[in-house]
Amino acid sequence: MHHNPILIENLSYAYPDGTHALRAINLSIQATERVALIGANGSGKSTLLLHFNGLISPQTGKVMVGEWSVEPQHFKEIRNFVGVVFQNPDDQLFMPTVWEDVAFGPKNLGWKDSELNHRVERAMTAVELELKLYGERNVNNLSGGEKKRVAIAGVLAMHPQVLVFDEPSAQLDPRSRRQLIQLLKNLSETQVIATHDLDLALELCDRTVILSQGQIVYDGQTEKVLSNSEFLEQHALETPLSYSRPYCHINY
Amino acid sequence: MLLHIGAFHVDVDSKRTTPWHALAPRTRLLCAVLSVFAIALTPNGHWLTWAIYGIGVAGVILLARVTLPVLLKRVGIEFAFVGVVLLGTLFQPGGEVLWSWGWLQITTEGLTVLGSVTLKVLLSLLTLNVLILTTSIPALLHALTVLRTPPLLVAILASMYRYIGVLMGELNAMRRAAAARNFSGSNRWQRLVVGNMIGALFIRTYERGERVYQAMLARGYTGLPPVDDVPKGNWRDILALTLTLIWALVGQLAGTMILEL
Repeated sequence: MHHNPILIENLSYAYPDGTHALRAINLSIQATERVALIGANGSGKSTLLLHFNGLISPQTGKVMVGEWSVEPQHFKEIRNFVGVVFQNPDDQLFMPTVWEDVAFGPKNLGWKDSELNHRVERAMTAVELELKLYGERNVNNLSGGEKKRVAIAGVLAMHPQVLVFDEPSAQLDPRSRRQLIQLLKNLSETQVIATHDLDLALELCDRTVILSQGQIVYDGQTEKVLSNSEFLEQHALETPLSYSRPYCHINY
Repeated sequence: MLLHIGAFHVDVDSKRTTPWHALAPRTRLLCAVLSVFAIALTPNGHWLTWAIYGIGVAGVILLARVTLPVLLKRVGIEFAFVGVVLLGTLFQPGGEVLWSWGWLQITTEGLTVLGSVTLKVLLSLLTLNVLILTTSIPALLHALTVLRTPPLLVAILASMYRYIGVLMGELNAMRRAAAARNFSGSNRWQRLVVGNMIGALFIRTYERGERVYQAMLARGYTGLPPVDDVPKGNWRDILALTLTLIWALVGQLAGTMILEL
């Protein structure tokens, strides 16, 4: 396992129309850390996430993933190293059946036959989906929570060292959200979670990075910043429910 | 065109166990394609050939225990589209004139062509619908890759199958949203709004395509979908293919001989 899987130095990015999405970002993430990435809509979270996987190349500054800098010749290694779970599972699950979708990544890595089956099975077990029940099912007929889990399985099957989630709890019912939190807790990989669900951030992540208008305005302990309602309000955020209503703060 | 396939349960009969279902999907696909070629390439007026082919197709329908009402309904709807084109073949010169009205005339030649083409269309549609009813789409797509169809083409077909349900869902959601705000008015206005919806859907599809492609890249896609190893066929598959071939040839020979007599 790489000790410093993600290192970003002085990264800036502007969209073709001139809007600055990211300004002078410096960020270093250590192995097995679980980091929440928080910010209002349009603060640049998604743009930053796409850099981790080489889906956007840095315009200025440097992004190091593992031992590779983000450049086209390293894309293959980088994409095996970092797995991205996108916000809308319908964008990510593009194969007709569950089995084929989970097998898509490993197949691209060249895995075949029994090793491929093994990887798919392990990934599906990790997200608590039974291969026998779900393998042949049509992706279109799954519930939102099931789709999310298949999407995570598809990424886990590639055995990445870093998992990147874009709003993992969006559009999930409370129970699916609870199961997702439990699932993320049990995964040992380094995780970066971009989310609007501040309670989820509080529960899962010790460290929080807050983005506001393309800049990092806070990088440190989660509890410290999420209890500072003044600071949060300045950056178009709110304190999590479990702080504004302490009786909701139940330990599971 | 696919809107008549209710809720996208296309392969109604794919879970049965019959000799036809025991064949590998690619063998079924090959048999169907071979049959359609044999049927369609038969010259006009070879009635006996089609009689033999008809018996064969009926045999497969019975053997595979296809749900007949579903089969007939689908063939009926598809035939309606082709039928419009077919009507034109009736009014063509050549042979004896049987009936005429102004420049319109029905000739023996026209009748032969119409009859022949109708039979070809019916038999081909029956064959292909039996294939689709009894074989799931993922299995068919896999069969296509095994038969060396360009993987990129199969990937495009697969994503079409995957996303048509999503698109229909989005269009329906938009229509419901419009209805919820009392969408009504003149016919022209309604068409204009539905046109706008389809336009919006098109743009969204384009953006979705971009996102899907990013998701593919993120999982190591390099431009060509990976292809699986090909399993070997067993005796059943070889037998089925041989029988189809013999049946196609017998049909052709019988048709030619009858004409010569």
